[in-house]
Amino acid sequence: MLIAGTVPIKGLPLITGETRGEDGLLVVDGYHLPCAQGTGAMIGAALATTSYLNLEPPQTVVAGDLGRGEGSRLIYDYLARHLPELSPEVLALHYILPDITLMRKVCQSVNRCPRKPIMIADAASMYVAKAAGLAAQFDIFTPDATEMAFLADPDATHPAYINQHLFDTDITQTPRLVTTACQQRNTARLLLVKGAVDYVVRDGNILATITQPDVPELEAIGGTGDTITGLISAFAYAGLELHEAAIIAARANRTAGKFAQATPATRVSQIINQFRAVFKEHLCQWSGVCYGEGEDYNG
Amino acid sequence: MPIFKKEQSFASGGLILFVEVPDAMKAELVLKGGGYAVRLVAPPPELRKGCDLAVEINLVEKLGIERLLNERDATYVGIAPLKIGTSELLQIVKVTDFGDWMMVRAGNMKLTFDRESGIIVNTSGGGCPDIPRLHAELIGKPLAQAPRPRDIGFTLCALMLDRALEECLILWNGGNQ
Repeated sequence: MLIAGTVPIKGLPLITGETRGEDGLLVVDGYHLPCAQGTGAMIGAALATTSYLNLEPPQTVVAGDLGRGEGSRLIYDYLARHLPELSPEVLALHYILPDITLMRKVCQSVNRCPRKPIMIADAASMYVAKAAGLAAQFDIFTPDATEMAFLADPDATHPAYINQHLFDTDITQTPRLVTTACQQRNTARLLLVKGAVDYVVRDGNILATITQPDVPELEAIGGTGDTITGLISAFAYAGLELHEAAIIAARANRTAGKFAQATPATRVSQIINQFRAVFKEHLCQWSGVCYGEGEDYNG
Repeated sequence: MPIFKKEQSFASGGLILFVEVPDAMKAELVLKGGGYAVRLVAPPPELRKGCDLAVEINLVEKLGIERLLNERDATYVGIAPLKIGTSELLQIVKVTDFGDWMMVRAGNMKLTFDRESGIIVNTSGGGCPDIPRLHAELIGKPLAQAPRPRDIGFTLCALMLDRALEECLILWNGGNQ
């Protein structure tokens, strides 16, 4: 599993390698990264999952970027040049400044991989995949309700430009937006639409909805969308069917919020800290894969 | 509880193009400060990279606008006649009441503050690279003393977060008058 994204550390060069946890921080190539909103939360959730399942930890491609795009361009360039040799089973892209031309190069590089990775995009990487007309190359998008409206708007290249009547809808309008976005080929094969109701959609068909536990405060907590993307990436890497990975990711995120007794002031690291307990209590029942903690998930 | 905002209407016809979003945000401030009616929009599709911003102007004011931008060292690529295909920035915001906290959503960005203290407790949404930095910079600060995302951010996500902060300030000031 390869996770690529920027972190808000000025001057951090492009670093690559296996991720490990240390005193609440993430360590990649000797650099310590915060497990906070953004790529850090996504990697943190993925690492919590692979650790619990005794799988290889996530490989990461990370660069510092405060918003001007320097780190993003380093990541695009690295992926465009090295993806065929890396050939990850899962490729998750997040927090990379949208650039249609560079995203096209990355997707061309994916097409040269010996086997196509499961491709997952969230946030800005999802925005640019749609804007570039490359959404159909992706396996999973994880939009929230506003981003679902963005995917359904044929003209918008960023959620800042979505049509007002699409923005003025609530999560119950998701099925209509899904239909519109799928007709326009603006979605990945599988969608996990995050909101008061989480929708798992494959090829335009709603397979499942998740509403429990109901923890509305999660919407306010920065990074709780990132953790869902990290979870779904890790469960896909573990070999679950993609829709199962999405359903379990949504349930696990909600349950971690409940365990953390989340308020709008809760930090995402407090949510991530609950994942092990959530998995211990529920994963066997949710996934049908039951084994003792520390055993090899792959048998 | 959606809050609708009415935009000032003006004769348009021209578009200022930029390489980077912050340049557009600076130009908008400069021009509004100079009394010009302008608004931020997306450039036409053929000029878009994916995270772009342009400033719509009244084309007849081109000369004065160019002079003001040059005087203030505001960087721009050029001024072109407005083409069909530009998109307006989302103007609507939505407010969610969490009891002790209020959350304001503008586009894909959300900002939540403590109703009693006015302190920002969280930001969420978005996914451009400046968002995690803004999250770290804003949390824990009183609304009125927090840095403005439009001043230290670079992307459309930052601009939406700024809109959310602006609305939070209105709510906070209204609640404390």
